[in-house]
Amino acid sequence: MLSFRTNSDKFLLGAFIASVAITLLLILFPVVHAIQLSFYQSESFVSERTWIGAGNYLRVLQESGFWRAFGIGVTFSVLTIVLQVALGIGCALLLDQPFFGRPVIRGLAVLPYLLPTVVVAVAFQWLLDGSLGLFTIWAEELGLGRPAWFEDPVMAMVVVVIASVWTWTPFVTISFLAALQTIPKSLYEAARVDGAGSWNRFWHVTIPMLVPMLMVIVLLRSIWMFNKFDIIWLMTKGGPLSATEHLPVMAYRRAFMQYDVGGGAAVATLSFAVLSLLILVYFYFYPLDGKEGNK
Amino acid sequence: MNQFDKDDVLAQEALLAQTKPAVGRRDVLKSVVAGAALMAVGAPSVLAQGKTLRFLNAEPGRDSVRALRVAAAEYEKKFGVKVVIDTVPPDDAYNKIQSSIAAGTPYDVGTLAFAGHVLLLAQAGKLVPLTKLVQRHKWGPNVLFPIKDENYWYPYDYNFCWMYYRKDLYQQKGLKVPTTWDQMAENCKALTEGGKFGVGHPVGANAAAQWMSLGYMWADGVRLLDNNFKLIVDNAEMKPKVTRYLDFMKKMGPSMPSGMTQALFGTVLGQYSGGQIAHAPYAGRLIEVIEDKAPDLVAKTGFFMYPDSAGSGQAVNHGYDGWVVLNTPMRDESLKFMEWFVDNHYINFLHSAPLHMQPPRMDVYDDIRWRAHPLIEKHAELVDFMKSMLTRKDVAIRSIDTEGPGVDLRPGKMFETFAICDAIQNVLYKGMPPAEAVDIMAAKYRTVL
Repeated sequence: MLSFRTNSDKFLLGAFIASVAITLLLILFPVVHAIQLSFYQSESFVSERTWIGAGNYLRVLQESGFWRAFGIGVTFSVLTIVLQVALGIGCALLLDQPFFGRPVIRGLAVLPYLLPTVVVAVAFQWLLDGSLGLFTIWAEELGLGRPAWFEDPVMAMVVVVIASVWTWTPFVTISFLAALQTIPKSLYEAARVDGAGSWNRFWHVTIPMLVPMLMVIVLLRSIWMFNKFDIIWLMTKGGPLSATEHLPVMAYRRAFMQYDVGGGAAVATLSFAVLSLLILVYFYFYPLDGKEGNK
Repeated sequence: MNQFDKDDVLAQEALLAQTKPAVGRRDVLKSVVAGAALMAVGAPSVLAQGKTLRFLNAEPGRDSVRALRVAAAEYEKKFGVKVVIDTVPPDDAYNKIQSSIAAGTPYDVGTLAFAGHVLLLAQAGKLVPLTKLVQRHKWGPNVLFPIKDENYWYPYDYNFCWMYYRKDLYQQKGLKVPTTWDQMAENCKALTEGGKFGVGHPVGANAAAQWMSLGYMWADGVRLLDNNFKLIVDNAEMKPKVTRYLDFMKKMGPSMPSGMTQALFGTVLGQYSGGQIAHAPYAGRLIEVIEDKAPDLVAKTGFFMYPDSAGSGQAVNHGYDGWVVLNTPMRDESLKFMEWFVDNHYINFLHSAPLHMQPPRMDVYDDIRWRAHPLIEKHAELVDFMKSMLTRKDVAIRSIDTEGPGVDLRPGKMFETFAICDAIQNVLYKGMPPAEAVDIMAAKYRTVL
């Protein structure tokens, strides 16, 4: 049984409780407040609110724009996660090999992750600028004309996906690199003795050992990418023609620009609910403690 | 006995203290009386000690911030009230004011750029009327936006948008200032060659597009809402006009650089001052910028309002900015500050962007202090042109957020849907028939009305 007899123990206990309380307050208060707002009709954050129950939800769910934004969010998340994981594993395998200058290359590989998102967004915007962008000029010199990077809905989505993958793949790489280094060398030795080639060693040793990390990465990146607001807002503001407007952008537009605080809160709450549901399903099938799920 | 100033009570007290070392009851009473007298006669600065006004500025230009800080410092020196100037980009001002109210530390004075925000805050009881202050002057049209006969903001500039053009290129090509859309499109086409473009109209879903690209539509008499705030953009009278406008924009498309969906205010300034485009929509800031960055273009630059399709009308796109006083415990002090500020520093503040901040107060145009600015003196022709927008009857002053018979939130909501920008993009980039784009636009507008 735990006992807290010394002053030091009591201080640690107090600090722990305080930190938990502050964290809960900082997380719970905004969430509860947002959920509360979603049941009111309000045209600003300071005007009087009118209780309308589920009115905002019914209205939002009936809009085709909501489902379109939901689909765009799913598309963006899936594309970025698949590419980040594939590239992340590939880069981790390369960086795990011994080669000259490995520490420097490992350091450089992390660089994009260290850049503030706004820097990434502005850099991509400049590179793809319709008049002065380096990539635009190169494309023109190659005889491809001036690509409509941000005018074409599909191209705009591709651009934000590429920018996102470029920025956040290093996180996946570092995670897998760490996981690779925990795989006992004896497993590879045993596989080699059993006659397994490099592909078989990768497929039957490396991949199974990376699965727990893969699960965590997919979970974390799903949450982050589905909620990703900054890169899309900074690069396209959800355009062109709402082609990159996912739920966070839609919620922001409604709450802060279209004077529909309740509607914006409803969109954000629905997004939160979808994500929570997804995480519960995920944990049902892939519990993090490694036990068999309730399949 | 020494002769003292009769108001110099402290000095008298000091002398008394020297000559009568013992402090008696009479002395204490005298001191109290002296203190009270000092409070009553003397010094507003002592009275005001510790008071602070918080002013949210949304003009982030260096000179504008400096003008406000100078005024703040002077006010503090004169009245002992500290005025703290916080500066944010214009788009953030309303949310910042809301946040400050919600946090229980509201700003005392704020800057707003949309009449609907003033309406929202006034309806919520967060503003105090400035009617008496406003009524001291004559104002230009479409800028006061009274709410129930009260004025809740003090406008400091118009942000009209008109067209600039390269006079030298016009001369080279033998072109004339356009009075119709066809002429405009032809001129832009003639000036598009060798990596140079006729015009740069932003077409993204943003405020820049709605400020810089819609003037033609207003010139042609398009109205989005009727006098009951009912959407009429797709009725039998308006739809053909909007369709014609979208057709015109499609015609202009090849004369514009690529990437105009990403273009913002600064993009167009850069395109014009860099010589990439021959026409640019903007307000007076364009002249200020080329005076600074591309002085060789100054003499080569002319201006005109947005023409209509038939050559019988013209328009400018509306814009405006103003200050509000919030209903805080400091409201009386804020009103006093505002009164002092507009009497003593209004023109200094306008001078921080002398050509861009077009005065909405008509008396300012005749004020020799305002006219004394070198840029205003130098560009007298432009200034007269700007003033004429306020006085001529044949100029349409319109914008989406000022549609309808009075101040209302609905046009503001319409503004933020960017449905007109979608319509332009649908026509320009998806090849959608303009009539279909108008229908989609109208449907999107209806979702917020």
